[in-house]
Amino acid sequence: MTRVRKPVQNEYAIRAYRPRTFSRRNFLTSAGGGLGMIALTSMLARDGLLSKSQAAPSNVAENPLAPKQPHFDGRAKRIIYLFMHGGPSHVDLFDPKPDLIKFAGQPLPDSFGQVMTRRKVAKNPLLPPLKQFRPRGESGLEISDFLPHIAECADELCVLRSCHGDSVNHPQSVYQMNTGSILMGRPSLGSWVSYGLGSENQDMPAFVVMPDPGSGVKGGPPAWGSGYLPATFQGTTMRPGKSPILHLRPQPEISDSQQQATLDLVRRLNQRHLQERDFDDDLSARVNSYELAFRMQSAAPEVVNLSQETLETRRLYGIGEKDTDEFGTRCLLARRMIERGVRFVQLYSGDTGGWDAHRDVARNHGVYCRRTDKPVAGLLKDLKRRGLLNDTLVIWGGEFGRMPMSEQGKGRDHNPWGYSVWFAGGGVKGGMSYGATDAIGLRAAENKVHVHDLHATILHILGLGHEDLTYFHNGRDERLTDVAGQVVDEILA
Amino acid sequence: MTRHLDNKHTSFSPGGTKHALIRPSRESHAPFSPSRTFHASFSPRGTASGSLERKRQGYVSIINSRAPEGNAVTDLFLGKSWDLMVAGVARLRVRHGQCPNSCESGYKNPSRRCPEGRHNRVTLDFCRPSGAQSVKSIPLLGLTPQAITCRRSAANQSNRVFRHIQTLLFVACLFAISLTPSIADETTNPSTSNEKPITSDDREHWSFAPVSNPNIPDVTDRTWPRTPIDNFILKRLEDANLSPSPKANRFTLIRRLTFDLTGLPPTSDEITSFANDESADAYERLVDRLLGSTSYGERWAQHWLDLARFAETDGFEHDKIRPDAWKYRDWVIDALNRDLPYDQFVRLQLAGDELAADDAWAQNATRFLLCGPDMPDINLTEERRHNFLNDMTATVGSVFLGLQIGCAQCHDHKFDPVSQLDFYRLRAYFDPIVEFQNRKTVRLFEPERIRPRKSYLMVRGDFRRQGPQVSPSFPRIANPRNDSDPDDSVIEGDKKLGPRTVLANWLTRPDNPLATRIIVNRIWQYHFGNGICRSPSDVGVMGEWPSHPELLDWLAQELPRRNWSLKSLHRLIVSSATYRQASVPTDATRNMLQKSKQQDPDNELLARFPRRRLEGEAIRDAMLAASNQLSQRRGGPGVRPPLPKELLVTLLKNQWPVTPDKEDHRRRSIYLFVRRNLRFPIFQAFDKPDMNASCPRRNTSTIAPQALTLLNSKLSLSAARALAGKLIAQAGTDPSDQVTLCYLSTLARFPTESELTTAVQFLTGQAARLRVDRRRASELAVPVGLPQNSDPFHAAALTDFCLAVFNLNEFVYID
Repeated sequence: MTRVRKPVQNEYAIRAYRPRTFSRRNFLTSAGGGLGMIALTSMLARDGLLSKSQAAPSNVAENPLAPKQPHFDGRAKRIIYLFMHGGPSHVDLFDPKPDLIKFAGQPLPDSFGQVMTRRKVAKNPLLPPLKQFRPRGESGLEISDFLPHIAECADELCVLRSCHGDSVNHPQSVYQMNTGSILMGRPSLGSWVSYGLGSENQDMPAFVVMPDPGSGVKGGPPAWGSGYLPATFQGTTMRPGKSPILHLRPQPEISDSQQQATLDLVRRLNQRHLQERDFDDDLSARVNSYELAFRMQSAAPEVVNLSQETLETRRLYGIGEKDTDEFGTRCLLARRMIERGVRFVQLYSGDTGGWDAHRDVARNHGVYCRRTDKPVAGLLKDLKRRGLLNDTLVIWGGEFGRMPMSEQGKGRDHNPWGYSVWFAGGGVKGGMSYGATDAIGLRAAENKVHVHDLHATILHILGLGHEDLTYFHNGRDERLTDVAGQVVDEILA
Repeated sequence: MTRHLDNKHTSFSPGGTKHALIRPSRESHAPFSPSRTFHASFSPRGTASGSLERKRQGYVSIINSRAPEGNAVTDLFLGKSWDLMVAGVARLRVRHGQCPNSCESGYKNPSRRCPEGRHNRVTLDFCRPSGAQSVKSIPLLGLTPQAITCRRSAANQSNRVFRHIQTLLFVACLFAISLTPSIADETTNPSTSNEKPITSDDREHWSFAPVSNPNIPDVTDRTWPRTPIDNFILKRLEDANLSPSPKANRFTLIRRLTFDLTGLPPTSDEITSFANDESADAYERLVDRLLGSTSYGERWAQHWLDLARFAETDGFEHDKIRPDAWKYRDWVIDALNRDLPYDQFVRLQLAGDELAADDAWAQNATRFLLCGPDMPDINLTEERRHNFLNDMTATVGSVFLGLQIGCAQCHDHKFDPVSQLDFYRLRAYFDPIVEFQNRKTVRLFEPERIRPRKSYLMVRGDFRRQGPQVSPSFPRIANPRNDSDPDDSVIEGDKKLGPRTVLANWLTRPDNPLATRIIVNRIWQYHFGNGICRSPSDVGVMGEWPSHPELLDWLAQELPRRNWSLKSLHRLIVSSATYRQASVPTDATRNMLQKSKQQDPDNELLARFPRRRLEGEAIRDAMLAASNQLSQRRGGPGVRPPLPKELLVTLLKNQWPVTPDKEDHRRRSIYLFVRRNLRFPIFQAFDKPDMNASCPRRNTSTIAPQALTLLNSKLSLSAARALAGKLIAQAGTDPSDQVTLCYLSTLARFPTESELTTAVQFLTGQAARLRVDRRRASELAVPVGLPQNSDPFHAAALTDFCLAVFNLNEFVYID
């Protein structure tokens, strides 16, 4: 049933924040990185530097990363996005196609018309699914034997089987899945969400990206860029280990106490400078950003310190096993981040090649499924038992799926015309599939879900109207969904 | 696959209909209040017929069931309003004017727009068919201008409850459209014959109107102005009962001016000699010296490269290197240093190949057209071509005309009088010249290989849907005299001019109101942080209104009078009393400045010099310059200094081979390699644009990664060590002398007594702290070139002091 949106009390809250110019008035909208005005005012008030009237928290709402009210009651508060880079094969994982077995080895029937492909595979023989599909859980949702652990969580999954995008190329599709556009330089989903909802943790970035340690995605960092949104909202890359954020730690020649003394000096000299300049807002904001940086230096290592986790939990994620240790660690970090109020965590599985199984799907997906299956299942189970799955949306998907035709015998080419993405948690119905591809999984056929619709739905789950979440840029109210997008109401619980 | 498009077409598409319905035009309102008006013309189609009556009933019932009680919108379809609407012309009007409520943000000044846009007045005006005179005006409180621009699609709405007030307005639009079915046909099949003509209303918008020849205003305080600029500025200050700030001191001035004109800090010698220069023209000579230095071009070229979205790679998957791209960067630097007149500067960039086919220098200029991102690996060349050319056309429009004509690639511009045909006519200049070879970097055809190529409008901006054929022509709104297009074969001497030469000549006519206003506004912006018009690449009806329109026009006249010399324009601006004002309040000015802050929080009136933050490039260059590390090497392919390994893993393999010669790593920031997929870390932290779209004005965000970069990066620490080494080498071992030289090298002034005490205390304390830690000298950040027998702890403390200074607000801001 479609939930009726509540009338929106603060429908202008987002629009109101339209920094046409980054000048004085907008100082805090641009004073990003998350430090609240509260902290600044309390700091200055403590130092006796603010009069009472100035100290009144009238500007609190202006901190761009302060938690913001959604447009209406959302189902989820945060997102973990598991991005399977390279394009996982829907017909081998989540979209069973008996006809593909039946017509295996035959060319694509003429009735399917012309197919645009990346590597001219349209005339190649059809390749049957490489592993058996079976009904799983109480729902009987079919998942293949590639993913035995995720299959145990079938009743949590809502598989959108009719997704489709606009480009057969990797970077264009990576951009589209992340930003809505096949062109570079638009704000990413995570940036839009941070812009719309702010962060619950002012000591951490609102939008964290954990890239695959192998190498970069095709298209590179613009996939988590903030485009024309202020830099405050861009994805911050984090990684396990001693220096989870770039430049978080001093150079080895500088000790912590030494840096502390240096910072004290900076603070004193800045304070004097500020005083002579009547507490200029921009300058105050900058003083502020040093306080945040300082707090981040302790908050970020705490987040990535897994020693507080029990052995049982670590095992659940496959930490300590050869194949799953790396991705399991990042999945567990994702849980720890959202627990601490990070709004949007995105994990990439797959280096530059990743899931891009042109030559041999069985081998490629064998490797990547082994690496990710147990960690992803562990994440879902862990979130569930901690009560976090209710208001956390987990998204799994690549930039596209793969063709039913074979490539080089045992491989498959890119397929943006029809593929699967699944949601779990976040007030989405579990144990269901939505939409369908045609008989062989070539194109989305029933209840099609374009990338814009996917984005509209994700924003809707967070309580954001995709038509209302706008940012004025170059004379236009820009949106994540451009001029399209329709919420898939049917999957909402 | 075509769902995206289907959606656009089957839905009630705002793209097609609303702009035709709602056209911008300008009317006079309250004289102080810049206003924007959108008209929804409800064509008179006789009295209420049967079908009209049914429609009316329908809307009334929708509204009755949805509208909040007492809202004026309900009046819309009831009673007399209805009759008026059917009989006459109803207009939706947005006034960006006085906030009717006392707006929370404290904007009570009636001349200001409500900053949040939420209290702008939206009224529904009913007018006589003949003219502008309102018969009846119904304010629609709570409606924002966005309400009218909302791109809500009817298809999306069909299964939903109408929940927003704007939806009601949308119904009004629907109704109007239902009265004028012809509009819908027009936009699904665009053709020249039904292109909406430019009206005289359109031409009245400030930026489209001819440049006026304003009188230099008379002011009460005749002693203050040094240039006519100051009269314009002072006039508005006096009108607002404000006064300008006193002149900044010499230390402030030389730091401001040197960073502004060269992007570098002044050296300690330059500071002391200027501070001691008693001659009357000391300032003017300083200006001349700075404008004459090659650093000038290296500074100002970056502003232009931001506009040109210059990068040295293609972007997208392989982000392949464009081996010759740096030649354009070097050309811009060179052209600015030579003070190439701006009209020629534009001409060469648009048509250097036509104008001087044998001149490699001129050809490098035309690389401007090739600066944008490209996707050489995509399967469909047509798609690649389409995206590239549209981006190029949009960039030409925004850079030279200050119009967001890119908005018109899918449909007529919603607010500005730029039709989709205008867009594709402009694109037609570039259609034949660009060569796309599969998997190869895009390039221009050599002039003799250019073949005529038919150009078409692309329906909905879709590269698969060819619309009517178009031929090259100037955007109509910017061409009031209807100058001829290149088909008329303009002959100059015995030579037929190339089409892009004609375009460039037209763009740089002294009486082209857009082009001249745009460039002088940009120059002003780079000097003062904000333009006279604060939306430098959008001077259309959705853009900002100029704070000093007469000054803008005066400057726009002045530039061609000065033979388009940009250096001359710089000299004029920085010589003004306005530019020389202090930014820091003194006891004498504090009260006035408090008042001006309340009256004019954005400092549009310039009662003080606007303080501003340095760009990432200038911060890095300043650290290198202060520590005597800056390499003097100029030009050539972009340099790649080492990157932190955390960033390397976000790239494909081998995308950042480090430049072998280490001196190159210390070159000016403008010579660092610009990769589209990855910005150099300190630049990324400090808001360098990503170079995927033209950037007319950088953000200045304040984020924690900036603090982390300046505190903890290798770049900062090695600059601090080098600076400390320089202090020891030049100032000796006395801490006060070291601190004094440090202040001069970084902050361009002498420390005060108390600052000196603080600094020396820090050095002593930090040295003691390090000594207690008992680390070996090799584990300390000792200064570069530290003499034998020096105390390593004290020396390392000096490095810490230098690092602290690099992190000061005073270091990264110019007063």
